[in-house]
Order: sequence, then structure tokens, then C-alpha cells
Amino acid sequence: MTDDTTPDPDAAQAAIEYCYDRDWSDGLPLVPASQPLVDRFLATTTRNPDEVIGELEQVGRNCTVYLAAVNAAMAGCRPEYFPVVLAAFEALMRERAARGGGWQSTSGPAPMIVVNGPIRHELGFNTAGGAFGPGFRPNATVARAIGLIVRNAFGIRPHVLEQATQGLPGRWSICLAENEEESPWPPFATEGGQPEGASAVSATLLRTCEFVDNRHTPDPEQVLWDVADTISRTGSLIFKDTSAGVVFCPEHAQMLAGAGFSKQAVQEWLIEHCGRTGADLRRAGKNGLRGIARFADPDTAADGQFSRILPSRRHVPIVVAGARNAAISMVVRIFGEWSGTVIPIPPTPAKVTS
Amino acid sequence: MPNPILDPTGTTATAAKAQAPRAKRRKDLNGATVGLLVNTKQNAAPFLDEVGRLLAQRYGATVTMARTKVNFAAPAPEDLVKEMTTSCDVIITGIGDCGSCSASAVADGIAFEAAGLPAAAICSDAFRVTADAMADLQGAHGYRYATTPHPVAVLTPDQVRERAAVVLDDVVALLTT
Repeated sequence: MTDDTTPDPDAAQAAIEYCYDRDWSDGLPLVPASQPLVDRFLATTTRNPDEVIGELEQVGRNCTVYLAAVNAAMAGCRPEYFPVVLAAFEALMRERAARGGGWQSTSGPAPMIVVNGPIRHELGFNTAGGAFGPGFRPNATVARAIGLIVRNAFGIRPHVLEQATQGLPGRWSICLAENEEESPWPPFATEGGQPEGASAVSATLLRTCEFVDNRHTPDPEQVLWDVADTISRTGSLIFKDTSAGVVFCPEHAQMLAGAGFSKQAVQEWLIEHCGRTGADLRRAGKNGLRGIARFADPDTAADGQFSRILPSRRHVPIVVAGARNAAISMVVRIFGEWSGTVIPIPPTPAKVTS
Repeated sequence: MPNPILDPTGTTATAAKAQAPRAKRRKDLNGATVGLLVNTKQNAAPFLDEVGRLLAQRYGATVTMARTKVNFAAPAPEDLVKEMTTSCDVIITGIGDCGSCSASAVADGIAFEAAGLPAAAICSDAFRVTADAMADLQGAHGYRYATTPHPVAVLTPDQVRERAAVVLDDVVALLTT
């Protein structure tokens, strides 16, 4: 038997099914959003609910602050996460790939959101082990909110306007809170121009994440060679240039920093060493260039030539995340280019309780 | 009364789009100026070039303008549509061979129809659903376009020419009465 304070599971189930029936769900149950709940989301921002915060011209749809709040509520966010959702969405909409055809793409890219600053702890983001999830409500639901906005506000649904061939694991679930406490380097947001200690969000689209497990060498350069090999994988090379970030675990980051590598030095090392020979590329049918696209060229003249693939430091962003319990880092394959835009989280207008 | 469950799509407030206009068809392509709108996808340029060449050779059309869309994911910019509308009688656009570019090839076809030009969009047959969804979004439910079997990007030059020849009748049917 239940007392009066126990929620009604039958009503909850009926409400969840109501949402499924309307095709609003990403496959998992949604939190049915009511006006009082959404009002608490809207109270966390000074922005007008009708303000358009994202437009997808090619499909004639847009997202307002209000629609973002409804979708964030449905994703399971608490109201106080809403400023992070708004900042993440704004950061994504600054990305050329997300404004263009990214959401419709056969590559099915996943947003990667990076949160910096004190808001990580204020809202209970996971900043340590299992950085890529799952298990933590803020990380999981902020990322999911973006997916629901794309699905519902923009109307980009799988098999219809969304044409992902296979998609990728982690789509709508990657929200890293940088492990600033154990990183030897400045936070990602600081590199993006935010003052030290600022709460801020950046985001881009990923093609995939690939681990680099290297825990048995004390030589930082061997770790970098291992990272470079993963970055230089031919399967991921489609254009002349590529962009691949590295989410270093604290152990690798500290080892590198201990050997005198700044973030910039790591980036420069990777720019210098990432690439393939003409023979490697030819073997994979990617040695020719038509415009910027790689294609199979029978010409063997450049077989011995080494082609670098990372044109600038901006193409190899670095973040530190995860636990300090093993030397496992992640190469994150960026869809297009990461603008590196960092959106600060504005102060909350009033104390919000949930 | 319980609170209503809120709609996350925002579509109820959007007015239904008016039915998109369809341009008057030509009786035939004899003497017609054909515009080719190439979307930069692999093999799109040789494919459309060959369609244009065959239209000239077999139907007496004149290909006078080939233009390239800088951003294949988005519909063609207005000034490009205007430029081609001024100089051409019919438009062929493609190849819709990805999630966004198949949808936008159809959107371009519909935009040219609205500007008064018969247009034939060519898409890979793997993208029918997304092409149809875009047509619905543009108020052109049931919009007809030509398809060629997937894949297109890996075809050799000879195979591209064969494909162009195969799709030719459909293209002509789309552009004429």
C-alpha cells in the first residue's frame, strides 16, 4: 500500500506512453512536461521564451527558448541545468556543421559538450571517472536535451530527414565536465577566451571516439606516437585536412606536462607527426585529391611522401577528462571543424529550487 | 484537472504551407536552354554533364549553363536561382546522394518550379524517404523527381555515362508534358 505522497505509477506510465504515441521520444521514456515544470526552467534565464535560439533554414524550423525548455524537461534535466542546455545549444549552433547538414548527415554525428568552471560542481556534473558516461544525471540529460531539440523542434527524425547510415555509440549522451582539478593545463574555456574560473560551455559534432590505452610506458613521446597512430587511421580520412581532438586522461596529461609539454606543445607535436605516406593512402584508395575530397588515384609517384593531416592547432583541441586511475585517453574525431567557441553561463536571475 | 502534457515540437503554431506551385511544362526540349545545378557530390558533375549532352544530342536542347552549389547541404541561394531562372528554360539538379543534399536537391527543384521553370531533381534511390519528407516540408507533397540506383560515388566514368543514359527518359518526362 502507498501513502498519499507516493507518486501514481499508473498515471506516470500513461503519460510516458502519451509521449511515445506522439513520436516525441528518442526511444527511451520521456519525462512528460507540464507548464509548471517548464516555468521553473524558464525562471533560470532572463531570456524571452519566444526568443529564437536556433534556426534550420533548410527545413524551415526553429527552436525558441520555450521549446528548448520543454525538450530539456522531457530529457530529464532539472530546471537549474537549463542555462547549460541553452549554452550548449548556442555553442553547437555556432558550428558550421550543425547549421548545415550535420543533423541530417549519413555520418550521424554526435554532439560533444564540454562544461567548465564552478557550475560543474554546483549542478553535480561528473568530472571524474566514466567521463563519457553513463551514470550521472546532469551529463546524461543535458546531452539528451540537445538530441530532443533536434528531433522535436527541428523535426530531424531518424529514417526521415535524419539519414545516419549507422550513427555512432554515444549520440546524444556525450557531455564532458572537464577534470580541471587534475588537469595540469588551463581549462578548455580559458583557451576559448573566458576568464579563469568562469562557468562556460563549448560543443562540437563528433564522428566517433577511439580509445588509446597506453599505461605501460614512462615515455611521454611513446604515448604521443600511440595517439598519433590513432589520429592517422585512414578510415577516418575523407578530406585533405582532418580534425581530431584528444580527451586526455589525467595520468597522460600529467605525464606530458611533467615532461614539459604544454597543451600547445602537444598540439604542435601531433601536427608534425600525424599523417600517412602516399603508399598507405593509396592502399586505402585515398591518395588522390579532387578539390578537398580524397579519392583513389593509381598514381604511385607520391608513395614515399608523408602527408600531414592536421593543418593547425585548432584542428587538434585538447580536453582533460576522466579518472586518474589508468592511462587511457580518447581520440575524438571531429565532424568538420571545431570553431572552439565558448559560451559563458550567465548568472541565474533568481534562486531556483527543484 | 491535471495539467496538459506540453508539445515539444512547436509545430501546432505553424501555419500549413500553401501548395507549392508547379511550372508549366514544355511540349518538348527542342531548342530549350538547359541549366545544370551541380551539388559537388562525387560524380555529380560528370553525371549531369552527360545528361545535358544527351539532351542536346537526342532532343535538340542547348546546355548553356552549369552552376555549382557551394554548400550541398543547403538549398541553392536565391541569387543563384534567380540567375539560372533568367538564363534557362529548364533545370536539372543533383545528385542527391547524402542525407542533406538529397533533401536540398528536391528543395531546389521546388524553388525553380516556383520561379516558373520546370525542374528535374536526380537523387540516389537510397534517399527517397528524405527527399519525399523535404517535398512535404516545402508544401509539394508527391513531388516527382528522378532516381538512379545507389551508390553513385563509386561509379567509373563509363558507368556514370550509362546511368545518365538510363535516367534520361525520366528526366525528359519530368520536364515535358
